[in-house]
Amino acid sequence: MTIFLQSLLSGVLIGGAYALIGVGLTIIFGVMRIINFAHGDLVMLGMYASYFLFTLGNVDPFVSIIFVFPLLFLFGAILQKTVINKVLNALPQNQILLTIGIGLILSNTMMLLFTSDYRIISTTYSSGSFRLGEISVSTPLLLSFVITAAVTAVLYWFLLKTDTGQAIRATAQDRDAAQLMGVNVKRMSVLATGIGAGLAAVAGSLISPTYYIFPQVGQPFTLKAFVIVVLGGMGSVMGATVGGVLIGATESLAGAYISSGLKDLVVYVLFLLILLFKPAGLFGKSRV
Amino acid sequence: MRPSPQSRGLALLPVVLGVAAVVALAILPKYVESPYALQLMVLFFLAVIQGEAWNLIGGYGGQYSVGHAAYFGIGAYTVIVLLQSKGLAPWWGLFPALLLAVVVAAIVGSITFRLRGPYFVLASIAVAEIFRLAALNWKQLTNGAEGILLSGIPPLVIGGAQITDFSSKVPFYYMGLALAVVTVLVTIWFQGSKLGYYLQAIREDQDAANSLGIPLTFYKNVALMISAFFTAFAGALYGLYVGFIDPQTAVGLDISVQIVLTAIIGGIGTVLGPVVGAALLVALSEALRSNVLTDLLIGSGLVDAGSGIGQFLRDNLSHAHMLIYGVLVALTILYMPDGVLGGIKNQLRKRRSRAAAAGGAA
Repeated sequence: MTIFLQSLLSGVLIGGAYALIGVGLTIIFGVMRIINFAHGDLVMLGMYASYFLFTLGNVDPFVSIIFVFPLLFLFGAILQKTVINKVLNALPQNQILLTIGIGLILSNTMMLLFTSDYRIISTTYSSGSFRLGEISVSTPLLLSFVITAAVTAVLYWFLLKTDTGQAIRATAQDRDAAQLMGVNVKRMSVLATGIGAGLAAVAGSLISPTYYIFPQVGQPFTLKAFVIVVLGGMGSVMGATVGGVLIGATESLAGAYISSGLKDLVVYVLFLLILLFKPAGLFGKSRV
Repeated sequence: MRPSPQSRGLALLPVVLGVAAVVALAILPKYVESPYALQLMVLFFLAVIQGEAWNLIGGYGGQYSVGHAAYFGIGAYTVIVLLQSKGLAPWWGLFPALLLAVVVAAIVGSITFRLRGPYFVLASIAVAEIFRLAALNWKQLTNGAEGILLSGIPPLVIGGAQITDFSSKVPFYYMGLALAVVTVLVTIWFQGSKLGYYLQAIREDQDAANSLGIPLTFYKNVALMISAFFTAFAGALYGLYVGFIDPQTAVGLDISVQIVLTAIIGGIGTVLGPVVGAALLVALSEALRSNVLTDLLIGSGLVDAGSGIGQFLRDNLSHAHMLIYGVLVALTILYMPDGVLGGIKNQLRKRRSRAAAAGGAA
């Protein structure tokens, strides 16, 4: 029972960061109907940004999100305006290939610039933990989960209560109708990509104290983000939040009870099963 | 677009050119002994086989599988594992390898072909990743992340006469050439066959094709099985040729992406597209690896050899082939979505119609 609770807790804590990555992907998909295969590489960029802020500027990785979010928001917005915008009406396959290409460019440029060495951020609390009865709780994971929850709360407030947020949701619901209602859908696409990129990077910053940082670290996150988004329902922010936590927990439990090497495999098998039996996800409408 | 029955009789020129090209390639090793040149040609043949094989389901059928590394890996691993641990000669090992790939394709296809567009792409990636993780974790069989180093290939003896002992690159050259020619011929047959027409109909409009009575999943499945067969064959050849396989280089996502790129860059849904794409990609990665491109940049005076940039390029550009692949795929999608061949054809068509319009006006 202790093992179960222990794995469940660590899974849920890491699931918070997964949720942010998934929410970023689902917002981009919702507004533009484009699946961003470079999403994990944006997580990677966030990790590197935090790494350099920490080593060069002595900025704590959890504080660094104040800089990382606007930085990657800008990056995402420029990427949308200059490249992604050109394929909005292309075949979905071509859109996917384009973002795969962008991902290759990002990870390999980072490799050229900073080599493929593994880097770590060692803060005073990196390996810290405290006990909660029988269960040990990792300090950096708990901190990252709390910040994730706060970021998610701000995001929900933004999407639900502000005019811009509602315009983004309207665009995601029906692009043409939103345009007829006077929403500047082009601007919403730029905003959505910026927010998606920013959220992915913030997630990267939040997990940077507990992960190795290297140029290829992003790829598994891309795949995980898909699983999360498909599980929650494509385009559903709520679904991605719940999906992230669920996948984090599944992975952690699979690691504890099956084998740590096979936990990703379990997640992908689960992914195929969802695609086959509940393609609309938990909270989405079917678009298959 | 496709050759109509009447025009087939006239298409003598391509046949003559094709036969001439194959004959020239067949006698090439008699005159070129440089192992380096042969190495490049083997890589080119392997890329042609993979590109053509993917083209059947991805190009003609419009089912963009980004998981063909699964079949490539099945071919490579089955043959190498059987040879290394059971001592089974590769020409026997090929049978279970190809059979396994076709069976896996049938299973994967019947599951994933229910999905469309991006969902199918995602599922194909997930399947390939499942195989990569299996290869990584099934250590007794695959030796995990360390991979398998082949200790040697037994000599091929037919009727008491030794055909080859696989000590040079020449036997691999001929195997690659033969298989590349076969895949091109299969593609030509496929393009004019009922199966090929059905798949093109599915690519253009699945629902319309279905309403005309084409069983979608069945024909997609048949095409995927043929595609998997040749992809696994290429994987086996690759494993034997390189003599080393590990999960990343035999089943990694990079392999899947390279296969798709070969077809896309050349032009999908055409017989020669993957050949053009393979030639471009192999030439380009070699130019990068051997620093030819850097030397060109420096030689042309664009970059000063002594400057920091010149030194940086010399040190790093040789590792950058995946970066260049990324740039290529982005440029292709943005500016030449029909590939190099398609782009050239479009240009020609435009020029011709412009000339016709000018002639009409005069």
